[in-house]
Amino acid sequence: MKQLFLSFALKLRKSKRYKETKAYVRELLNGTTNPYKKYLDIFIIFLIVTSVFILVYEVTNPVPIWLDYYDFYFVSFVFFVEYILRLWVHNDLSEHIVEEYRDAQFLHKEFKLWPVLKNGMKEKLNYMITPAAIVDLLAIFPAYRPLRVLRIFVLFRVLKLLRYAKSINQFVEVITNKRFELLTLLFLLLFIVTTAGIAIYVLEERINPEITSLFDALYWSLVTITTVGYGDIAPVTDAGRAISMLTIISGIGMISFATSVIVSAFSERLSEIKESRIIEQVNKSRSFLIVCGYGQMAKMFFRQSKDAMENYVILDKDMKRVEQARKDGYKVVQEDASRFETLSKFNVEHANITILCLTASDVENIYITLNAKSISRKMKVIARVNDINIVSKFEYAGADHLLMPNQVVNTMISTAITQPTMYKAVHAILTGKSVARIDEIHVHDEHSMVGKSVKELDFKKNKLLFIGLQRKGEFIFNPPTAEIIQSYDVLLLMGRKISLEYFRNRHEGVN
Amino acid sequence: MHRRSILLFGYGNHGKFVAKGLQEDGFLLKIIESNHNNYLQAKDDGFMDVEHMDVTNDRLLEVLNPQNYEKLVCVMEDEHLNVFLTLSLRSLFTESYILSISDSIHTTKKLKMAGANKVIDLYEVSANKIHNILKRPVATKLLESFVSGRDGIGFKEMIIPKNSFLEGKTTDDVDFSPYGVLLIGMIDEALGHSFVFITAGINHELNYGDTIVCIGPEDKLNAFEDEIKKRESQV
Repeated sequence: MKQLFLSFALKLRKSKRYKETKAYVRELLNGTTNPYKKYLDIFIIFLIVTSVFILVYEVTNPVPIWLDYYDFYFVSFVFFVEYILRLWVHNDLSEHIVEEYRDAQFLHKEFKLWPVLKNGMKEKLNYMITPAAIVDLLAIFPAYRPLRVLRIFVLFRVLKLLRYAKSINQFVEVITNKRFELLTLLFLLLFIVTTAGIAIYVLEERINPEITSLFDALYWSLVTITTVGYGDIAPVTDAGRAISMLTIISGIGMISFATSVIVSAFSERLSEIKESRIIEQVNKSRSFLIVCGYGQMAKMFFRQSKDAMENYVILDKDMKRVEQARKDGYKVVQEDASRFETLSKFNVEHANITILCLTASDVENIYITLNAKSISRKMKVIARVNDINIVSKFEYAGADHLLMPNQVVNTMISTAITQPTMYKAVHAILTGKSVARIDEIHVHDEHSMVGKSVKELDFKKNKLLFIGLQRKGEFIFNPPTAEIIQSYDVLLLMGRKISLEYFRNRHEGVN
Repeated sequence: MHRRSILLFGYGNHGKFVAKGLQEDGFLLKIIESNHNNYLQAKDDGFMDVEHMDVTNDRLLEVLNPQNYEKLVCVMEDEHLNVFLTLSLRSLFTESYILSISDSIHTTKKLKMAGANKVIDLYEVSANKIHNILKRPVATKLLESFVSGRDGIGFKEMIIPKNSFLEGKTTDDVDFSPYGVLLIGMIDEALGHSFVFITAGINHELNYGDTIVCIGPEDKLNAFEDEIKKRESQV
């Protein structure tokens, strides 16, 4: 028996196809990347909706027998298969067995099958008692016609829909966060209901014809305390009425308490939920910007680019500044960007992320830079440096670009005084306010410029000024006209926006 | 040659840097500082013409005779004082050219209202730079090194002197390549005070008094500046 299990497990472990199939099914059921998952989801939702429709329609109308069969056999069968598959992909039993066997061999001890099997089964059982799995299981039970009560199981099929609703999960999460308060409330409720129920039972069981058992009394008490008050059972004695009055008052208090607990739980978590949505949204884009710190610099940055910005998120740990950013209408998350958890939430692997460290503190900016670079070297960091003396530290931390506000301004002032005309020119180029601008063209393999000489390209005819090119990190100023453009050169050109764009478009694509 | 003179208010973080640059470029410089420590620092750094005074006092300001200076530069550490000073200077000397620095968005507006001819906004300039880095990283880095003259390549503006060989020629006529410099743009005095880029596609006539801005290696630029003073081109 043991040998049989073992050889079977080893065989499965060796089979590439088995592993691949399992991974595929797992991705199809639980993952996010499988392209066919969408169709499976739609199919399941379709089955659920038709099944519930049949249940409702059947109440007053006769249904054709094939619909019954469809509901009874087909839907149930699909759900059964789904359930088994989910259970199957939850963990790898064969892997556990093989691992245990190898360990046993290594230590020269006897291989025992039972403990491993037990552990594996325990894991499966743990999955089976999760609410989602229970719902799945109950949804399989067909609407067995002769027993009407069993039909209610169809409603579990509706609950299966919850798997596709994210907001419900958040709702449940919020409620579970207030578990303590709600449990306290529940115990209080039970206590009052039982006390009032027993009291009315003792006082009126003989007198009131409606109350014949303790269950009746408890039912009355719950109906009263929740302020539902059907009126099918009502107290007839003064003592009984006094008890109802007390019950009603405590009921009002309890309901308002319960409401306030749930509302406060939501308002506490509301911003968090919003923030997680922001991060989710931004993670979908292929390249985005993370702005750390919402100070003057960030404000100015956004003011200048309100319409152009799409994919960005602001991180700030200060609540006041976060509020300010929210008021200004930006996507902001209250998080500390220097923490590992914060930055690793983003889609580091698949997106081009640029981080702007704009906080007023150099120490924090360095920390954020280091943090980003430690998560992925791929992230681009532009850091603000206030103290010119610590530039080397930022370079050591791996910042790709440095922004030195003081130095930039100092240079600007000096230039404005000493060479006012040049200042005007440079400032206009830098701010992009003038008609002319300096831009760069990154030459790729496909560009038709590759292999052509500077003379052939005739920049002057295109109303462009060719200032120079950067090749392998070195800048060549005003290269001779015979110079041939190579792939991965960066051309530095000056000209009007339309000339630049025209030139760029013309030379994009294959020769 | 007449030395250009600058009256610099403030010797703080920015003032220090500006003063050093101006001195290196051979400007005649007078520094005014209201903070005693900064005043001593300026003296220590070797500036001769430094005065310690209360800049809120109009009578003292008048004694300075700012109208004799080409430009008044306000870079006081205290933002409020800077705005106040700009306002006082403007009200006292309507003709002077005042350049001020601003440390916040709100101050920029106030300085402009106070009558500064040019306001350099620390945050605006920096924010611009971020955009430039994001959009064209290589160009930004290169341009920056041009402005600071780090890699030997820089910008230079020159005024076309009388009897220069450039006089009377159009921008299309002149071949700048033998001189190893590129013409970026110019101020055509005949057409008003605005700066025109060469790539605007208009052919300009170069005249005596026009300012041209060129880019190139430093030695070539200096050689070119000497060249245009001559009547005939030597190259």
